[in-house]
Amino acid sequence: METTFDLPANIAFGVIAVAIIVAAIRVVTTRNIVHAALWLVVVLGGVGAIYILLQAEFVAVVQYLVYIGAIVVLFLFGIMLTRAPLGEMLDLTNRTMRVGAIITAVILVTIMVFSVVDSFRDEEVDFIAYSGDVAAAQTFADLSAEEQETVLDEVAAIGAEGTDLGPVGRTETVSDSIFRDYLIPFEVISALLLAALIGAIVIARRD
Amino acid sequence: MTPLVDPLLSGPIGLQEILVVVFKVVVAFAFLMVAVMFMVWFERKLIGDMQNRIGPNRAGPWGILQTLADGVKLFFKEDLLPDNADRFVFKLAPYLALIPAFLIFTVVPVGGNYSTGDGTVSLFGEETLLQVADPPVGVLFVLAMSSVAVYGVMLAGWSSGSKYPLLGSVRATAQMISYEAALSLSVLSVILLSGTLSTSGIVAEQSQWNWNLWLTGFIPFAIFLISGTAELNRPPFDLVEAEQELVGGFHTEYSAVRFALFFLAEFMNTVTMSAIIVTLFLGGPNGPMFGPEWLQSWVLPSLWFFLKLFVFLFVFVWFRATLPRFRYDQLMDMGWKLLIPAALGWFLILAGIQVASDNDDINLALVVIVGVAIFFAGMGLLMLAMRSSRRQRQLSGVTD
Amino acid sequence: MGQYLPIFALLVLASLFAAVSFAASRLLNPPHPTPAKTVPYECGIIDAKEPPERFPVKFFLVAMIFIVFDIEIIFLYPFAVVYRSLGLFGLVALAIFAALVFESFVYLISNGALDWGPAKHLRRRSPMVDSLRTADTTVKRVGTDGREAAA
Repeated sequence: METTFDLPANIAFGVIAVAIIVAAIRVVTTRNIVHAALWLVVVLGGVGAIYILLQAEFVAVVQYLVYIGAIVVLFLFGIMLTRAPLGEMLDLTNRTMRVGAIITAVILVTIMVFSVVDSFRDEEVDFIAYSGDVAAAQTFADLSAEEQETVLDEVAAIGAEGTDLGPVGRTETVSDSIFRDYLIPFEVISALLLAALIGAIVIARRD
Repeated sequence: MTPLVDPLLSGPIGLQEILVVVFKVVVAFAFLMVAVMFMVWFERKLIGDMQNRIGPNRAGPWGILQTLADGVKLFFKEDLLPDNADRFVFKLAPYLALIPAFLIFTVVPVGGNYSTGDGTVSLFGEETLLQVADPPVGVLFVLAMSSVAVYGVMLAGWSSGSKYPLLGSVRATAQMISYEAALSLSVLSVILLSGTLSTSGIVAEQSQWNWNLWLTGFIPFAIFLISGTAELNRPPFDLVEAEQELVGGFHTEYSAVRFALFFLAEFMNTVTMSAIIVTLFLGGPNGPMFGPEWLQSWVLPSLWFFLKLFVFLFVFVWFRATLPRFRYDQLMDMGWKLLIPAALGWFLILAGIQVASDNDDINLALVVIVGVAIFFAGMGLLMLAMRSSRRQRQLSGVTD
Repeated sequence: MGQYLPIFALLVLASLFAAVSFAASRLLNPPHPTPAKTVPYECGIIDAKEPPERFPVKFFLVAMIFIVFDIEIIFLYPFAVVYRSLGLFGLVALAIFAALVFESFVYLISNGALDWGPAKHLRRRSPMVDSLRTADTTVKRVGTDGREAAA
C-alpha cells in the first residue's frame, strides 16, 4: 500500500527551496534589522517544511518550537530592547563586509556540497506517504506492550548497525536513538544548557 | 483499536479524498467563525448578567447578532496607518496573529465514537476521523503554532511606533513565552499516560472514562488551565492590554479590519484553547454511549464534545468577571517559581510511578516515597533560593 | 505527510479570508489620511515623549531562560513517548538531566534573575519624616497657662 508522492513532493520541494533562497538573500541584504529577523523566520520555517516533506516530523516541529518560537524571539527581543529604530539603518552593511560575506559564503557552500555528496553519494530520497504502511502500523499497535518492546529493540538494534529504517524522523525512532545510542551526548547537553544559564546569571548579577 | 492516523489520507490520494479534505476545511472554517461570533456575544451577555446589566439585546433575538453587526461596522471603518509605523510589519502582524489561531483547531477531534468504535465515521463513502488533520505529532503541532502566535502580538506592538503598544507587546511576549514553558510541561504528563503525540490517539486512550483529568492527578490540568489563560492574555492575565495603563495594549494603533482580525484571533484562540483542554484532559468526544448506530457515531460524541467545550468557555468568562488582574511581578513569580517547577516535578513523579508499576522488581511505594522526597527537596531548594534573592534585594536597598 | 495537506488547505483559506477582508474594507471605505488621523493615537492626546529606546534587560533574560527550558522540554517529549521500553534506566538518565538544569535554575533564582518586585528604594531616614514627629511634638502650644491642670 505504498503511495509515492514523488511528483507533488518534488514540486513542493522546489517551491520551498526557492522561497528559502530568496528569503536568505533578503536576510543579508535588507537594511532593516527587524525585517532581517523576519526573513530569517521564513528561512527557518522553510527548512521546517522540508523536514515535513522528508517525514522527519518530530524534527520539523522542534524546528518551529525552538528556532522560530524561542531563538528568533530572543533575537527580536534583543533588537527591541536595545535599539530598534523604525526604518532603515544605513550603517548595517558596508563594502568590506560584502567581500567578507562572499568569501564566507563560498567556503560554506563548498563544505556543505562536499559533505552532502560525500555522505549520500547516489542515494535517493523516497517520498513515501507517512504511514504509507497503515497495515504495518496497525499490526504494531495490536501487539502487547512486551511485544512492542521487542520490536522496538530489534528496530533499535538494526539502527545501531546503520541499516536503513525508513521514516527516520518518527518520534519513536528519534526518542529511541536519543536515549540509547546518544545517551552521553544527551547528558552533555545539560552541561551546555548550564553554560547558557551561567551566561544569563552574568547578565542578571547587579555588580 | 483505533488507527494510528486518519485513514483518509494514508492511502492514495485521489479526487474523492481531496473533496473530503476541502469539505472538512470549509466546515472547520465556518465553525470557527460562528464560534467566535457566539463567544463574543456569550461573553458580553454573561458578563452583563454577572454585573447586573442587560448586555447586548438589540440586534437579533437576545442580541445574538450583535457581533455580526459590530463586524460589519468594522468593515466600513477607515483603515489608518500611523506615520511612525513600520508599514510592512504593521500590515503583516494581523496575519501572523490570525493564521496560527485557525491552524491550531485542525488537530482537535470534534466527534467520532472512540468509546465503542474506533473513532472513524463514513463521510461521502470515505472512512475518516472527525478532525481536519491528524498529524502524528499533533500535540507538538499545537505548541509550535502557539509559539508562532507570539509573533503577531510582538510585531504589532513594535511596528506601531507608539509607546503603549510597545510596552504592551514587550510584556505580552515575556508573559506568553513564560507560560508556554509551563503549558508544555503540563502536557507532558498527558503524553506520558497516553504514549502518543497524536490528538486522536490521546482521545482514544481516554475512552471508558479513563480521562486524563483524574489519571494525571488534577495538577497538570490545573497548571494547563492557568497557563492556558495566561497564554490567551485573558483576564486575570490581561496585563498585555491593561486598559487603565496601556490604553489598548499592542493593538492600540490598529483600526478597522486590521483590528477586527486581532479581535477574531483572540476569541478564536479562546475557543481553541477550550477545545484543546477538552481533548487533552476531558476525553474529547468520549462520554456515555447509547441508542442506534447513527446516534452513537455522529450525534452523541459531538454533543459531549461541545458540552465540555461550552463548560470551558463559561469558565473563561467567569474568570474574567470574577478575578482582579495580576501585577506583573506576581505573574512572573507564579509562572516561573510555581507552575514550571511544579509541572516538572509532577511529571517526574508520574514517570517514576509508571515505570515502577510496569516493572515487578521495583517497589512502587519506595519509588513514590523517594519521588516525593526529591520533590520536596527541590521545593526546599527553590524556597532557599528565593529567600536568598530577597535578602540580597534588601541589602542593596530595594525592598518589597 | 498527507496528513499535512488539510493544514495547508486551511492555511490558504485563512490567508485568503484575511486578504479578501482587507480588499473589502479598502473598497467600502478607502483611506483618506490626514495629518491628524495618522499621528500615533496612544491615548488620544498629542504625545510629549518619544517611545522609550531601551528596556530593562530582565525581559531579555526571560527569553534566554525560556530557550533553555524549551530545549529541556523538547527532550522530555521523546522520553514521555518511549519511556515504557526504557524502564528504570531511562528514568534515571532523565532525572540526572532534569536535576542538572534545575540546579542551575535554582542558582539563577537565588541571584535574583527572575525578581520583578516593585523596585521601591528605602527612604533615607530624614528627621523631617520621623514617626516621633506628631501634632503633639511639633506644634508649639501657647496661651495654655493655668489651663493645663484643668484639661
